[in-house]
Amino acid sequence: MVSKTVKIVNAQGLHMRPAGMFAKEMTKFESDIFLDVQGKKINAKSVMHIIAACIKCGTELTVECSGSDEQEALNQAVSLIESGLGE
Amino acid sequence: MLKGIGGSAGYGVGRAVIISEGKPEYVSVEITDTESEIKRFEDAVRVFVEKTQGMADAMRERVGEHNAEILEGHILMLSDPFMQDEIKGMINSGNCAEAAVDSVCDMFITMFSQVDDELTKQRATDIGDIRVRLLKILTGTPDINISEVPAGTVLVAKDLTPSMTAGIVKENVAGIVTELGGKTSHSAILARALEIPAVLSVDNVLSMVSDGMVLAVDGCEGNCIIEPSDEEITEYQKKKEIYLEEKAGLKVFVGRETVTADGAKVHLYGNIGKPEDAEAVVSGDGEGVGLFRTEFLFMGADSLPSEEQQFEAYKKAAEIMNGREVIIRTLDVGGDKDIPYLGLEKEENPFLGFRAVRYCLANEESYKVQLRALLRASAYGDIKIMVPLVTGVEEIRKVKQLVGELKQELDKAGIAYNKDIQVGVMMETPAASLIADLLAGEADFFSIGTNDLTQYTMAVDRGNAKVAYLYSAYHPAVLRSMKNIIEAGNKAGIMVGMCGEAAADTLLIPLLISFGLGEYSVSASSVLSTRSTISKWSKAEADKLAEQALALSTEEEVAALLKANVK
Repeated sequence: MVSKTVKIVNAQGLHMRPAGMFAKEMTKFESDIFLDVQGKKINAKSVMHIIAACIKCGTELTVECSGSDEQEALNQAVSLIESGLGE
Repeated sequence: MLKGIGGSAGYGVGRAVIISEGKPEYVSVEITDTESEIKRFEDAVRVFVEKTQGMADAMRERVGEHNAEILEGHILMLSDPFMQDEIKGMINSGNCAEAAVDSVCDMFITMFSQVDDELTKQRATDIGDIRVRLLKILTGTPDINISEVPAGTVLVAKDLTPSMTAGIVKENVAGIVTELGGKTSHSAILARALEIPAVLSVDNVLSMVSDGMVLAVDGCEGNCIIEPSDEEITEYQKKKEIYLEEKAGLKVFVGRETVTADGAKVHLYGNIGKPEDAEAVVSGDGEGVGLFRTEFLFMGADSLPSEEQQFEAYKKAAEIMNGREVIIRTLDVGGDKDIPYLGLEKEENPFLGFRAVRYCLANEESYKVQLRALLRASAYGDIKIMVPLVTGVEEIRKVKQLVGELKQELDKAGIAYNKDIQVGVMMETPAASLIADLLAGEADFFSIGTNDLTQYTMAVDRGNAKVAYLYSAYHPAVLRSMKNIIEAGNKAGIMVGMCGEAAADTLLIPLLISFGLGEYSVSASSVLSTRSTISKWSKAEADKLAEQALALSTEEEVAALLKANVK
C-alpha cells in the first residue's frame, strides 16, 4: 500500500461537483483507494460516501491506495486534490 | 399571516397550485430471474441519465449554470458504483428493482440527514428526488409537468426538487411557497435566478392551503397571506410596483458615471477576495477594485504561496479589470484570521497584537515575496499597494523602502513593473486617524477601512453581543475620525477612498459626500444602489445635513437624523 497526506484547498470543500469529478477519476484505477479522514475510511470511488463525509476546506486527509496501479492512483489522487479539483 | 424565510425577493399574488410529488406506489415481488431484473434497473438508470441531462441542458439555457449543475450532480450520484452495487446486490438476493432502489436511497437519505452540515443535508433532498424519478421510470408513472400551470400561479410544495423546478415557466408563476428549505436551498437559488418571489420554511403550509386558494407572497420579508383581503391585495400590489420600479430604476445606472446631483464625479469600486471575483465587479458595473483582500492565497495553502502563485493571482485580477485601478491589500494576518502554518502564537488580545503590517515587517523576507509579486503584476494593469493596520509613519516609510529596494532588483533583472506604482495606507486605527496629516505626507492614497476603524475607535468587539450595540459608524467619534482622515488626505492632494461596509450605506453617503470622499468601494452587488444614492445628493445638501449631524452628541440622534433625511 502507498499513501500520502494532503490538504483540501477548495473553498467549499469536497461538495458535489469536485467530489463527483474525483470519484469518477478514481474509478479508472484498478487499485482500492480510500481516504482516511480523521480515522474514518472513505471509499474514494464513491461520490456518495465522499459527500456524506462532509470534507471541508483545510481538512487534512490521507489517500491510501493498494493494488496493481497503486502508485499511479496515488499520484493522480494527490495531484487532483492539490490542484483544487478544477475549482 | 404565515411567517417563513424570504428566499427570493419580490411580491406576488396568485392562486395556489399544490405540487405534491410523492413516491409512486409499487408492489414488492420476489424475483427469481435476477439477471433480467438487474437489466431492468440498468435500463431505468439509462433513461434517468438521458432525461436528466436533457433537463440540465434546458436549465442551463433558461436559468444558468448553477441550476444545471445540480441536475448533473444527480447523474453523478446515481453513477456511484458503490450505490449501484448495493442496489444490484439487493436485486440478487431476490428484491425487485423498485424495492432495491427505494431502500438503498433510504439508507443514503438517512446517512446524509444525520450529517451536521447544511449543504450535506440538502443532498438528502437530491437523493429523494433521484428516488422518485427512478421509481417513476421503473413503474411507468408519468411526470408532473409544472410547465403547464396557468398564469398567476403560486406554487406550493413541501420542497421544490431540482427536477420539478426545471419546468417552471417564469411568466406563469407569481410566487413560490414551500414548507422546507432555506436561503441556500435549490428552491431559493432557482427562484432568485428566475426572479420569482419565494417564501420558504413555512410550517405546515400544505395542511392549510388547497388548490385554487388565493395567496399573497412577500419574498422580501418572508411573509405569506392565505386568502388575503382586498386591502391586503392592493397593499401587496403597491409594494410589488415599488419593488419593481426600484429594481428597474437601478438598471438606469448601468454604464453611467458616478456623479453627485451637482455633477461632481467620484470613483465607485468593488471589493474582492479572489481574482475571479473581479468578474462580478465588472458585471456589477464597478469602475475598479478598491480592495482586494489577499488572505485567500495564504489561507487555502499548507505553506506560504510562492512569488509565482501570488503574481499569477494579482495579474489575473489586473487583467480582468483591464486597465482599471486595482487596489491590493498586503497580507492582513492575525486578529480573527489565523493561518496555521505561520505558527503565530495564541495571544491574549489578538486584535491588539501581532498582526497585519506588524507581522509583515517582522517577517521581511516573506513580505518581500508578496511585494515583488505585486510589482511584477503591476506591469499588467493599474495595481496599487495598500498597507493594512498602519499606526505610524515609520511603517509606511519602511514598506516604501522595501518597495524601492525591490524595484532596483527588478531593474537589474530587467523585469517589467509600473515604476509609478502607488503605495497607500488603509486607515483603520485611531492612531492613523489622529496623525492623518502626517501619514498623508508619506502615503500615495488613503482608504478608510470602516469596520476596523469603528471597532478600534469604539473599543468594542462587535462579535460580543453584550457590547455590540456600541459598534456603529454613526457614533460622533467615528464620524469625526472619518472626516479628519478625508480632509487630511484632500489637503495633501491624495485620493481618499473607503472600503468598508459604510461606503454603501444609504444613510451615511451624504456625510461622505460632504466630507469629500473621492472613492467608494462596495460589494459588487451594491454598486448600482450606491451610484443611485450618490446621484441624489448635491454637495450643498450634503453639507447641510453633515453640519446638523456633527452638531449632535449621540449615536442615536445621528442615526435618527440620517434616517429622517434618507433619499
